[in-house]
Amino acid sequence: MTTGQQEAPRVSGASSPVMSVIWRLIALAFIDAIAIVFAYSFWSGGLALAAVVLLVVTAAINVVFLVPGLYPLRWISPGVFLLMLMVVYPVMFTVYAAFTNYSAQHILSKQQVVERFERQFYTPEDQASLTWRAFRSPADEFLIWLEDPTGRQLIGDPQRGVIPADDYDAEFGQIDQADGLPTRIDDYVKLSRIESFRHLTALSRLDIRDEAAQLRIVSLDRAELGIQRYTYDPARDVLTDHLTDTEYESRRGFFVAEDGLRAPGPGFVDVIGPDNFLRVVHDHRIRDAFFGLFVWNFAFAFLSVAFTFALGLALALVFNDQRLPLKGIFRTLAIIPYTIPGFISILVWAGLLNPTFGPINAFLQEFFGISPPWFADGTLAKSAVLMVNLWLGYPYMLIVTLGALQSIPGDLYEAAEIDGANVFQRFKTITLPLLLVAVAPLLIGAFAFNFNNFAIIELLTAGGPANPNAVTPAGQTDILISYSYRLAFASGRGQDYAFAAAISVFIFAIVAMITLVNFRISRRLENMI
Amino acid sequence: MKLSIQLGALLVAFAMLFAACQPGAAPTPQPPADTPAPVDTPAQTPPAAETPPAEETPPAEETPPAEETPPGEETPEPSPSPAPGAEAGTLTIWAAGETADALTDIGATFTEQYDVPVQVYELGFGDIRDQLLLRGPAGEGPDIIVGAHDWLGQLTAAGVVEPLDLGAKEDQFAQVGVDAFTYDGTLYGMPYGSEAIALYYNRDLVPEPPATWDELKETARQLQEDGTVEQGYCLQKGDPYHSYPILTGHGGYIFGPDPETGAYNPDDVGLDSPGGLAYGNELNDLVAEGLLRDNVDYSACITMMTEGRAAFWMTGPWALNDFRTSGVNYGVAPIPMMEEQPRPFVGVQGMMVSSFAPNMLLAQSFLTEFIATDEGMDALYEADPRLPVWLPLAERVEDPDTAAFTESASHGDPMPAIPEMSAVWEHWTTAINLVFEQAQDPDEAFEAAAERIRETIAQP
Amino acid sequence: MASRSGKVKRVRRPELGLRARRRISILFKVLVAIATAIFALIPVAFVITAALNPLNTITAASLLPTRITFEHFETIFSSPSHPWPTWILNSATVAGITAVVVTALCALAAYSFSRFRFRGRRAGLISLVIIQLFPNMLAMVALFLLLQAVGQAMPTSAVVPVLGEIELPRLGLNSLGGLILIYSGGALGFNTWLMKAYFDTVPYDLDESALVDGASHTQVFRMVVLPLVRPILAVIGILTFIGTYSDFLIARIMLSSPENYTVAVGMSLFITGQFTQRWGVFAAAAVISALPIVITFLILQRQLIGGLAQGGVKG
Repeated sequence: MTTGQQEAPRVSGASSPVMSVIWRLIALAFIDAIAIVFAYSFWSGGLALAAVVLLVVTAAINVVFLVPGLYPLRWISPGVFLLMLMVVYPVMFTVYAAFTNYSAQHILSKQQVVERFERQFYTPEDQASLTWRAFRSPADEFLIWLEDPTGRQLIGDPQRGVIPADDYDAEFGQIDQADGLPTRIDDYVKLSRIESFRHLTALSRLDIRDEAAQLRIVSLDRAELGIQRYTYDPARDVLTDHLTDTEYESRRGFFVAEDGLRAPGPGFVDVIGPDNFLRVVHDHRIRDAFFGLFVWNFAFAFLSVAFTFALGLALALVFNDQRLPLKGIFRTLAIIPYTIPGFISILVWAGLLNPTFGPINAFLQEFFGISPPWFADGTLAKSAVLMVNLWLGYPYMLIVTLGALQSIPGDLYEAAEIDGANVFQRFKTITLPLLLVAVAPLLIGAFAFNFNNFAIIELLTAGGPANPNAVTPAGQTDILISYSYRLAFASGRGQDYAFAAAISVFIFAIVAMITLVNFRISRRLENMI
Repeated sequence: MKLSIQLGALLVAFAMLFAACQPGAAPTPQPPADTPAPVDTPAQTPPAAETPPAEETPPAEETPPAEETPPGEETPEPSPSPAPGAEAGTLTIWAAGETADALTDIGATFTEQYDVPVQVYELGFGDIRDQLLLRGPAGEGPDIIVGAHDWLGQLTAAGVVEPLDLGAKEDQFAQVGVDAFTYDGTLYGMPYGSEAIALYYNRDLVPEPPATWDELKETARQLQEDGTVEQGYCLQKGDPYHSYPILTGHGGYIFGPDPETGAYNPDDVGLDSPGGLAYGNELNDLVAEGLLRDNVDYSACITMMTEGRAAFWMTGPWALNDFRTSGVNYGVAPIPMMEEQPRPFVGVQGMMVSSFAPNMLLAQSFLTEFIATDEGMDALYEADPRLPVWLPLAERVEDPDTAAFTESASHGDPMPAIPEMSAVWEHWTTAINLVFEQAQDPDEAFEAAAERIRETIAQP
Repeated sequence: MASRSGKVKRVRRPELGLRARRRISILFKVLVAIATAIFALIPVAFVITAALNPLNTITAASLLPTRITFEHFETIFSSPSHPWPTWILNSATVAGITAVVVTALCALAAYSFSRFRFRGRRAGLISLVIIQLFPNMLAMVALFLLLQAVGQAMPTSAVVPVLGEIELPRLGLNSLGGLILIYSGGALGFNTWLMKAYFDTVPYDLDESALVDGASHTQVFRMVVLPLVRPILAVIGILTFIGTYSDFLIARIMLSSPENYTVAVGMSLFITGQFTQRWGVFAAAAVISALPIVITFLILQRQLIGGLAQGGVKG
């Protein structure tokens, strides 16, 4: 489709100086070295997918910069590099998440959940709760002085374990009258209760054992000799509860005993296969609502683009006129909607449109005697959504078209004017077609953006007004994404991210299909590519 | 973790990404077609050999404890550039709004007395919960968060908060506070303040607060008919929280009690119980009669109340500041009696320890030893005057507004913390909106809402 | 209306009523401009009202609050825990660098897509659009973890032969550098398209004659093409700057310490309260934070129409 307009430059020819090649090799070597360091970090941080993406992209960059035939790709590679990591990788992550059980109950990794279990201790019945006091050496080592309710005194030593104080072989300092403890043991100095505070984190990590039991400091005053309750065997993938002698197997993000009971604690993220996708297909709330949502969603996205583009274009034509007075000021005022964060504008609009208190209805009531119930009536709510979206979106179109208008050669107009074409003919035959060539991809992009414009629906109408007597809880301004995310986030047991991810994949399939069809039917686009 | 690599490899690399497109400023003919095959391999470059230490340094949490504590004896000052998450040795707290300011001051005192640096970060209220779920497991979270008790369902299900033992001090907290932070029989947080809605009224329009709901409606009707006010009694649309006392006052409920434990039972949804339907019809009648209006939201209510355009409104202590600054002559009274004792939702604020806190024991001790004291609780109350749950403080506070809220809260139900609640809010809101819009018969609207809540809860 | 340059004016032909028609057309355009300004400013006016209203609401029914107060502005500038000037500076830094990076990378890519014919070009262009269509709700989580890993691998300083030890920019979590990486990656797709379409309008003959004269592609790009596409560089710079400046969804997740916050994150502190939404302070902050963008646009917009002078060259 493309040939003709431009002859592709020959990708060969004069040899480059040796220096250029050497520089290139050194640069590539740097990049590779750094990529490997980062990939290793990703890998060890549990982001295997990101590591693979990074390495593949880096390898591709190497090839591109070493194979002369790929010269044109060199220009693209810096951008593609960023795009792959910051856009493509998150997409891959979402797709992966759709095959897991990632949700409110399954947030932690298996390792984290195992650690949580292994942190639990039980105290055998014959073990009493102990009081403790710490001694600290100049080298920041610690001894723990322990006393049980019967007055038996022990010393906990990370090297030697827990030993009765009388048997502990060391030089004890003076006995302090206040608490009956020595002021120091060897060069370990007693810490007051207040001083202990500062060292609590270090103290809580001391590994002091007495056979099977481990010394655990549970509060500023109390310590216990506890026994680790759970152990995990990675080889068998089994978690054992030593208190009840139960074995739990890992099953779909939980540790489950033979009788089906779960080990008490959170679940973990696990790959569960295509279940989330099946849920999307089988959920009647999605199936029954789909058609209605889709029609409005399509109309919403299409009309949003049409309106914003029309207004943006009209304004660009106006502001492009050199004779317009104060055009700098007007242009700036016109882009102001774009400078305010969208979420605040939407909330302000919700207030402006309030039928009872909003100034818009006050104005309409005053001059026209009407007071449209903006958010209670489906059609009006849809108009309100479109109008607010117009307000939010036209400055973007204005800036883009203002720029694109500059690309239209003035001579064309000259010729047309000489041929006697009037303003509208010139617009129809020159401005619009040439402009569309430049902005068509943006229009497609804007369509896709609005197709998934969750924020405006959620903040302005939250999908409302509700459909009375409907089979599904879809509201009248709900679009696919706002509706289905609400389903996923208010599901029975809280947020279900994996379900939302599966929905995302479905919606992506729909939008991508529409877009591809757009590309195909648009001859203009075919030509420009 | 200060590391150096030779030759500024990174800077060069990024520069090269650009430069490689334009190698050298000299007018070099492009492209180099007959470049010799590459002989260089990345592993031979010096920077690669130098960089590996970068990943070998383990994250702070894994280093042996002995190295954590600063080797120097006296290094009490907080680290100059605060790290995002908590670090061993520095107590890190996430809090919202004024509470964050108060905790910064409290933390400074703590640092002074105990030589432990405290770092307080201010986050948006809802962000605290959302970001704990993301940052906590990633090792970027805090030691302590300040939040609401009804997050517990979600936080415990995810496994990001740690049980807390208040020890002997538990007796000094109001029971409702301790109960609210108890989930599945385990205490997960230390409460410090609670809140519940009560009745605000305009003293200039209504000298004495109404004792019963009928009395309130009658007064509202009168004032509205006189044209004295725009709206006698304010209740915003789409706000289940604020209409809950009317639900309970008419005998309705959200979740019935579990027969065994008395906790909320998600299998017993009561929006379409006889009491629930009575509540729906009550709202419907009020709207039909013109006492309640569609389009009135929270902002509208606060504007009308503070400008004397409305006489009654039920809301919580958070609105006190607006009432006080507006200068309107207001009063606060308990919610008037309905067919049954109306019970508002009680929300309790408290502090929880993250399961990923590097300083877990320190955090727990900080709460039980330092915050759970008269001084700590006083400071929190001053910054964020919620109804105190620290009993010694509650006895001392004599503010009449606080007394009314406390009275109201004493009848309240703790806001359900179970995750199933998220299914309730949406459909309950929808039903209320349909009634406010007079778009559906109240019985049908609330039956449909209850049905959908059951359907959502039954989801896999 | 399409008379857009001196050139068109020159071909004025003796036609009856032409001047009158021009005058009507200008009058019409002024009216459109005024109407748009009103449409654009109505909500803004209410934000300003809310900023001056002692009540913390955003839906006051009248434009004129019953009492005017500057307390919200005072709150903003008196609170030590809310360093607004720093936040605004952070936002401007992030948005500025992102705009430069995006414009540069897009220009490089667009040159290639516009000037070369290679295999995969069409597929590449289409995938550039398609990939942006993904409703990326879990992207935050992925990006968060990615930045964390980047931050852990990133050294804090480097030793350069001549300069000695230098500080490296931080790229991980809670750093402006990391945020710039994310924004830059996200803004590339559509902007490359926009840029490429504009590049296509620069006639290839110009390149060709330069190439024949022995210029490299680098030189053609720098000396022939870039000067002619200045308006689109400005468009993409401005769009990226504004879009990045006002984002808070991503920044809120990635930044965690107040000295690194951007303005939008700072603002969100005031309205994400449970019931205590401080709309007044929020609105005041919105007014202040919008000012830099408005000023930037006032300055930069000349570039938008800068290509006009070169219209003749292009034809």
